[in-house]
Amino acid sequence: MKIRINKAPLFLFSAVITLMLLSCGQDKASSSEMHSEAELSGHTVSTTAGNYYDNKYSAREDITMFRVNTEADGIQAVRQGLADVHVTDEVTFTPELRRQLGIRLAFKGEEAFDVAFAVRKGDDQLREQMDRFIAQLKADGTLDAILSHWLEDTPAPGPVKGGEPGAPTPLRCITGVSMAPICYIGEGGEWMGMDADILKRFAAWSGRTFDMKFQDLGSAMIALSTGQCDVVCACLYITDERKKSVDFTQPYYLCRAGYFVVDKESTSQTGFAERLKMNLVTESRWKLITDGLWETVKITVLAILLGTLLGAGVCAMLRSRRKWVNKTVELYGAFIQGIPTLVLLLVMFYVILASAGLSGTVVAIITFALCFAWSSGSIFSSAISSVPKGQTEAGLSLGFTPFRTFTGIVFPQAIQKALPLYAGECVSLLKSTSIVGYIAIMDLTRASDLIRSRTFDAMIPLLVITIAYFVLAWLIRLLLNLFLKK
Amino acid sequence: MISIRHLSKTFHNPDGSVVTVLKDVNCDIEKGEVISIIGPSGTGKSTLLRALNMLEPPTSGEIWVDSENIMARGYKLDKMRRKMGMVFQSFNLFEHMTVLENITYAPVRLLNKTLQEASAEGMELLKKVGLAQKADVYPESLSGGQKQRVAIARALSMHPDVILFDEPTSALDPTMVGEVLSVIRQLAKDGLTMLIVTHEMRFARDVSTRIFFMNEGIIYEDGTPEQIFEHPQRSATKAFVNRIQKLVYEINDDSFDYLQIQTGLNRFCIKYNIPEKADGAYSIIKEMLFEHLSDIRPLTLRITHADLSGETALDFMVEGLTESPLPHNDAVQAIRSQVKSIIEEPTTRGFRIKIILK
Repeated sequence: MKIRINKAPLFLFSAVITLMLLSCGQDKASSSEMHSEAELSGHTVSTTAGNYYDNKYSAREDITMFRVNTEADGIQAVRQGLADVHVTDEVTFTPELRRQLGIRLAFKGEEAFDVAFAVRKGDDQLREQMDRFIAQLKADGTLDAILSHWLEDTPAPGPVKGGEPGAPTPLRCITGVSMAPICYIGEGGEWMGMDADILKRFAAWSGRTFDMKFQDLGSAMIALSTGQCDVVCACLYITDERKKSVDFTQPYYLCRAGYFVVDKESTSQTGFAERLKMNLVTESRWKLITDGLWETVKITVLAILLGTLLGAGVCAMLRSRRKWVNKTVELYGAFIQGIPTLVLLLVMFYVILASAGLSGTVVAIITFALCFAWSSGSIFSSAISSVPKGQTEAGLSLGFTPFRTFTGIVFPQAIQKALPLYAGECVSLLKSTSIVGYIAIMDLTRASDLIRSRTFDAMIPLLVITIAYFVLAWLIRLLLNLFLKK
Repeated sequence: MISIRHLSKTFHNPDGSVVTVLKDVNCDIEKGEVISIIGPSGTGKSTLLRALNMLEPPTSGEIWVDSENIMARGYKLDKMRRKMGMVFQSFNLFEHMTVLENITYAPVRLLNKTLQEASAEGMELLKKVGLAQKADVYPESLSGGQKQRVAIARALSMHPDVILFDEPTSALDPTMVGEVLSVIRQLAKDGLTMLIVTHEMRFARDVSTRIFFMNEGIIYEDGTPEQIFEHPQRSATKAFVNRIQKLVYEINDDSFDYLQIQTGLNRFCIKYNIPEKADGAYSIIKEMLFEHLSDIRPLTLRITHADLSGETALDFMVEGLTESPLPHNDAVQAIRSQVKSIIEEPTTRGFRIKIILK
């Protein structure tokens, strides 16, 4: 059997890539002059969905909200003219970063907010310990030195003195932002930024190991309440509403809002090669991509293997002569098909397997395997049904046992019929793994998010992972075709 | 070799109805016998064959093969089936294997032959059925007749003691029946024990040592071909073996499409294995309709063929006439010399001219 590779998708794919390249760097923004919060009326304001500013301006009818998922998307929105101004914490963009991005601070907000870490409600032991730590930092001036190190690039202070060594359990932290200078992955894959710095020092001070993950703030808060992490940071403002669901430590910083607009005078036009370098080479960011790629491949391959194994069970149950067995497995199928994979993943991670102590990767593999079990099982079941009954009878009449007739004669023919559909399901599984970032897994998609949040360049990271996904999908089909040939 | 006692088979349909296909079948089959099983459709011929190798487990009764009760609990059916080959109406070749692989697959796995041995033997079998040059093609590229010959070779590859043929030519185009029947004829000459369910009466008469006529779920009459075909004892048997195949055209006026007679006649002659009669019959029909009976309309043309006697006749029937419409001239005399006989006779509703072909 000859392996044919359809070239049409390749052409289409190159067309898409070309289009992406052509459209890059075409900023359409029209900068608006604003000097205070009073002048926001009539403008479109972009901000991260669900944060304090979102709540603050949502009620205003004269302001249009443009809600984004990450600060990087917000800056992109402002540069493309989708929003007039992006509001976020002033610390988010250092002067250096503003120059790079071609934005400027139009004005500061009038209110000031206390910033603190969130711990689980009722976890007084940890909160009090952190309070003692922050009080010590404040008292000996280390806190100011840490803040100015990250905000103004002064030298880093020395290690914190003293300590309250306890059991060497990991301090499990989740950050709701991945962004300098608050909390980000820097050179060598190390967590950096002021929040990360303080938490690392606290971990060392209390004799614990440090563990940090990145997740969107909403999921981070859920993880906190279900006990899957101990501390959430994200330059968190202490608000009454948040106090209802979490406890806050002592504030360690006073933050104001920053209103950012496009800087018309900015001449920062970076060339393509330079952008490639910035997105992939600087701080070894390619390593995020390769790590993410490995994670995606790992989840996809293991979920396919486990899912196919379970699929054999589903197939057997679908073909069982017992009615109740059919009904049970059909109910399972209806359940799997009726729920979005993302929702199932979140339910598995935060509810069903929350107390099992499994890593996110394992939960993801199990979840995708459960979905894949149904699709592969039903594909194989209908493929087996499509092999004529006469083939079985011919095998039996030659003297094969029913089992050997199935494995030697019926199954090979069913495989031939099922494989194209099966390959399609494998590719669609690969694509659906792009949601695992929701449970703090650093897969390929999340890697591009992380780079984007550092470089604020949407195109290059997306371009790279687009190619990566395409090549992976192509490899899956190629491998399965090779398998069919055998 | 095989004994069947009080065998019955009842089907329970999904709609709740119950059909008893086999009521009470009893028979003994000896080594070397070639038994054709004939009878009207729906009388359980195929079911009996499929019950014999337990593809269709019987409802009750006993089947003894080489003095072992194969319906006993725990009996190793696969061992028994190796000695009892089967050829199906729908061929059932393994579509994912080449012709030769189809034939070597079972001997390699079940008779512990090496692939070389099985392939050499497989090529011999393919030569025997005339398909050696097709060894490496896939079944999908074969004609129906070729597929069935491969299926026969596959059954032979296990060196069975007996082969069951389940209507081996019923799914074939009429032009391909002959090639399959001649392969089976050869096997009969070689002395292989066979049970053949068939509708080919002349074939059954020529090739068999014994005939089972099945009717009403039992073996209604059992005997040598001569007993069953020449001297049937029971009336149902007599009616069945003497039945006549018919092809009828009502010709009301000259808007009738005469071409359909030609194509219909050709198909009819091929189907009943008398292709040599087609051309002669058509020229006589043409001459009768357009010359001697050109102003007689409406009339009915009936083409008949008796399976067993091999007699083929053309009937021209006209209603309301009491005398023969056929003129007595030289042209009609010329026809008379080409055929076996022309019978002119009045019927209850009119007049019939019957021409019996040579």
